[in-house]
This record gives sequence, C-alpha cells and structure tokens, in this order.
Amino acid sequence: MTTIFENLPVDADSLPKVEDIDFKSIEKKYLRVTLIASAIFWFVLILGWLAIAHFSEMEKTLLSYLAGSGGIFILGTLNFIVTILGFKKKKYALRQRDILYTKGLLWHVRTSIPFNRIQHAELKQGPLERMYGLHSLKVYTAGGQTSDLVIPGLKEEPALAIKDFILGKTAADGDDTEP
Amino acid sequence: METTLSPDFSSPRRQSRVAIGIILIKFIRMTIRAFWPILISFFIGGRNNSSFEEWLGYIAIGFAAFNLLGSVLTYFRFYFHIENDAIVIDKGLLKRTHTNIPFERIQTINFKQNILHQIFNVVSVEIDTAGAKKSEISIDALGKEEAEAFRDFVLAEKDQIIAESMPETQEAQEAEPEKSERILHLTPKDLLKVGVSQNHLRSMGIIFAFVFTTLQQFTDDVTDTVTDQVNQYDNLLPDSNLVIFIITALVVLIISFLFSLINTVLKYYDLSLSINKSGLKIVRGLFNREEISINKSKVQIISWSENPIRRIFRLYTLQIEQASSAEASQLKSKIRVPGSYMEQVTRVVGTVFPKEYFRDETKFGVSKHLKHRLFIFLGILPTLALGVSLYFTQGWEALYALLLLPLVWYMTTLYHRKRSFELNEELLRNNSGIFGNAHDLMQIHKVQAVRIKQSWYQRRKSLATVQLFTAAGHLTIPFITLDLALELENYLLYRAESDSREWM
Repeated sequence: MTTIFENLPVDADSLPKVEDIDFKSIEKKYLRVTLIASAIFWFVLILGWLAIAHFSEMEKTLLSYLAGSGGIFILGTLNFIVTILGFKKKKYALRQRDILYTKGLLWHVRTSIPFNRIQHAELKQGPLERMYGLHSLKVYTAGGQTSDLVIPGLKEEPALAIKDFILGKTAADGDDTEP
Repeated sequence: METTLSPDFSSPRRQSRVAIGIILIKFIRMTIRAFWPILISFFIGGRNNSSFEEWLGYIAIGFAAFNLLGSVLTYFRFYFHIENDAIVIDKGLLKRTHTNIPFERIQTINFKQNILHQIFNVVSVEIDTAGAKKSEISIDALGKEEAEAFRDFVLAEKDQIIAESMPETQEAQEAEPEKSERILHLTPKDLLKVGVSQNHLRSMGIIFAFVFTTLQQFTDDVTDTVTDQVNQYDNLLPDSNLVIFIITALVVLIISFLFSLINTVLKYYDLSLSINKSGLKIVRGLFNREEISINKSKVQIISWSENPIRRIFRLYTLQIEQASSAEASQLKSKIRVPGSYMEQVTRVVGTVFPKEYFRDETKFGVSKHLKHRLFIFLGILPTLALGVSLYFTQGWEALYALLLLPLVWYMTTLYHRKRSFELNEELLRNNSGIFGNAHDLMQIHKVQAVRIKQSWYQRRKSLATVQLFTAAGHLTIPFITLDLALELENYLLYRAESDSREWM
C-alpha cells in the first residue's frame, strides 16, 4: 500500500473499498437493442452512399457502388465487434451511499457518484428499448452534464427500485442522523 | 446607517425613467440584429432606384417609431415589487407574464452597467436563480441607491428565511457585523502590467479566427483581394520574401499586443475585489461595468496561475469557479481576477476555504510514462509528419524539423516535473505548468463524482487517471499508480459521503 494517508486522520484499510464490490452486469437483451440501433444507422449510411453514387455525375460502375459501401460496411463491422466485446464491461453497483458504473473496452472508465450529490434521477425509454422492456437510468448532478451518468439496459422492476432508492437517499440527505 | 431612506418595495413600481432610453437602445439592437439582411438588401438593391431616398426615409421613420413605441410601452408595462417573500415581476406587451421568484430560490443578485447606465448612475439588476433553465431575470435600469437597497433587503430576508428553516445552524448568528473590506484594487499601473503580460499568442489566435470567419462570410473576394495586394508588392520588391515575412510578423505582433492590452483595459478597468460576510464581491469594467457577488459556499475551485512575464511582476491570475444553475451561464461561473499578488490569493483562499488547511503538503508526482507518452504524441509524431511533408517540398532541408524534438522534450520534462497533487483532510491541490505555474485548489467534500480512467497502455503499466467533478468544473490527476488512484477514490468518496456541510 502506498502512503497517501500517512498524514490523514483516517486509516486507509478501514475505508469501504470500491475494488471489492460485486458489480452487476446490465441485461443481455440490451446488447440486441444497441446492435439493432447501430445496424439501422450503418444501413442508412450505406443507402445514403448508394444514393449519392447513383444520382451524382460519377461514372456508374459496379466499383463506385461497392467501394464506398464496402468501406462503410467494414467500419460498421468494427463497430459491432467493439460493441459486443465491450458489452460485458458495462456493469453497475449500488452501495449504501453511492452508485457506480463501469464501461469501456479499450478505455476503462468507472464513475462513482455519492447519493448526497445527486440532484435528480429519472428513467428513460427509447422505442427500441420499449420493445424489449428495458429502461435507462439517468442520474443528474449539479452544474452541466459532464458528470451525469446513464445506466442503460435495466428491467422495469430493478430500474424503478434503484431510482426510488436513489431519490429516497437523496431526499434523506438533509436529516442524515445515523451513519 | 441610512436604511431609513430605503424605499418601500411592497407596492408595484416601475424602473427608473432612464430605462426608456436603455430599453430603446436594446430594442434597436434587437431589431437590427433581426432585420439587418433586409436592411442591407434595401441599400444594395434600391440604390439605382430614383425613389430610393424617399423609401429610405419612410423606412427609417417607421423603424424609429416602431422602436420608440415598443420601448415606451415596455417601460410602462414593467412592474416589480416584493410580496410574500418573493420578487414579483409583471411585464409584457402582447403576452403578459407574471413571474414570481421566492427568495430562497435566489442564488445571487448581480449588477451590470454599460456606458449609458454609468452616465445616468443606474444599474441593470440580474437575479440569478436555481433550478429553471432560463434562470436569469433582469431589471433593465434602476437607480443605483435603489438597486442596492433592493438587493440588501432581498438578501437579508433570504438569509433570515434560511436561518429560520434550519434552527440548528448557529453560524448566521455569530457572524461578524455586515462590513466589507476591499482587498484588491487594480491601479492603472497594475492594469498596464496585466495587459502587457497577457497571453498575446491567444489574442493572435482570436484575431486570425475573426479575420478568417467573419470577413469570409461577408465576401468571398477578400482572399483574392489580399492575394492581389500581396502580388503587387511582390513586383515591387522581388526576392524579398524575408522582408515581407518580418514586416508581417511585426505588424501581427503589434496588433495582437494592442488587442490584448485594450481588451484588458475594457474588461478589468478599475477592478476591485472585496470580502464581506457572505463571500466576495467583484466590480470591474470600463464601458460595461459589472458587479458580481460570489457566495462562499458556492465556490468549488480556486485557481491561481502565472506566466514568465507575470513572474517578474509577481502577479497571479486568480480564478474562482462557483456552482451556477444555468447551463447557459457556464462562462459566468468562472470569474477571473488578474493582477492579484500572492498576499491577495492567500486572503481569498483563506476567506472561502478553512484557512488552517491551506498549507504545503507532500507532493505526489505523476508517472514518467506520462512524459514519454506526451513526447511521442506531441514530439515524435508531429516531427515525422512535418519532416515527411517538408521533404517533398524542400528536400533534405526537412532535417530542420528535428529541431522540434529537443524543444518538445524540454517542455514535456518541465511539465512532468511540475505536475503533482497535494492532499490533506480538507483540501486537494493540483499543480501544473510548463513555463509558468498553475495551481487549482478544491475542498474535497464538494466532489460530486469521481471517475477513474485507464487506457490500454495505462493498464499495462498499472496506472490510472483520476477525474474529480464538482458543481463547477473538474480537476484531473493523470497517470498515477493504480493503487494510489484507488486509495484516492475511496477516500474522496468517503469524505463526500460523510460530510453534511453545505457544498453548493
């Protein structure tokens, strides 16, 4: 262990450790939601290219159609691979006093927000998410969006429970009597 | 005290008479901004027409009448008063609006004066509130004494309401009597020092950006014209590229210098910073005078920095970041006070944060891998790119690009040496800088989110980057060992979660 706490009035070992928590994965079905959404995106992009190739002055050989859409297809495939591999990195955890979320395949990112610093929490649901019965939990903090947090791919029941839990904790912050 | 003179705010009242003029100018600016394409097209399209001047007269009269009527009506339709612990504003010509701002939702009340305000000794009052997106309500012109009485009344009432709702906080009672002490006043000499030591490279950038975007919007011919001009001189002075280059560089340098000097004078003229019971107050500006109040508990980060020129004068730029509700006023949440001496920086830090914790602590440096990474991305790769592209145009003279390497190495070494953080049980301090020095100070219980990032490279070296978010801005501690990052995360979360003090 390093010595950062040598001059602080706290024993480093007595603090709750983020490293030891069991993180929960988000719903597997959410992977399908993201994949369908990006499939639609890349498909539209390819259509767009074909339209440009068709209506522009360009020579209409098979190559001109294939070159662009092939490039887009390769990018789309890469995007799919990263999404699938990165999916199992999307995990969340609730502790007594904060909420944590991890993500990122190449760049690991873990964000922790204490309940008593949360301004507001809400559930969101896009059309695709609705088809699969999933919700995204959005946690707002003060002053801009840089530290806001979105946890996607939650089933209705736990999503509501977590939201109410957070809002309850946030509200109870004012009369925080027992540790 | 002359509080007996304070006017009665309980019945609806209008703004100062001068407001008509001020609203009129605001109106004219608004209409010009909205209709200038039409006006210009009239000018250009109608010039050949014989009845053009006649038309122009009508348009001008109509335009003036519209504006005058609008501003007079706006003035007579605007009322404000205080009712049931709330500011009530009634306004609107066609659509009447009734705004009710409860005292406890008011964050601060700031004053602004443009040159007209200054002539007539009135101020524009801006009421900053929490919550709503459009969180600013303003009163265009109010007599200065009246505005001050108004603000003092509202803020005093607000404090009382808050004190009543939390009976256990004794701090309000024991507070020292209402007094304000001026700790900084920029004399013209200091102002000049600040102007001279501005970052002139930035002004150069701003000027270039302005020239290239704005002028090009007006006419695409500008570049052609400039090229023509330059070509003319080319004929006059053959083979004198160097002379032209030096002259251009000098002109650009002088313009940038003047630009930043004028900018500084306009913005920071007669700046004064004072400390009072609730926090800090800043007054500044030449034509547009602003008065900004900063609430102690809302301050999230205090930074001070210097550059090599400022070091000669021993001047620092102090920056105070306060939590602000409006997303639009993110810019306003950072308040800069250039030309502060160390003594004043210490004073401000001591006022806003607990004084006894403001001290030097053990410095934790960052990993040398950061230096190597920076050197690769800012040194080796750009040198390669530059060298290769120069090789095709200049041949082996491209080897001069290698001179970039020692410079970047020197700069990254300086950066790495200065990058560090210090921590005690109350404050976290971030140190950085290349040629200058910059320090950011944060009260750690105000952290509202902790983020740990690891790139693929950092994972291999077992390093991590920590970002600490507050209600106004964030601090980054890059490339420290993972163990240290985790300890820091645990400790900061513990501190934020176990502290029940006010944090914004």
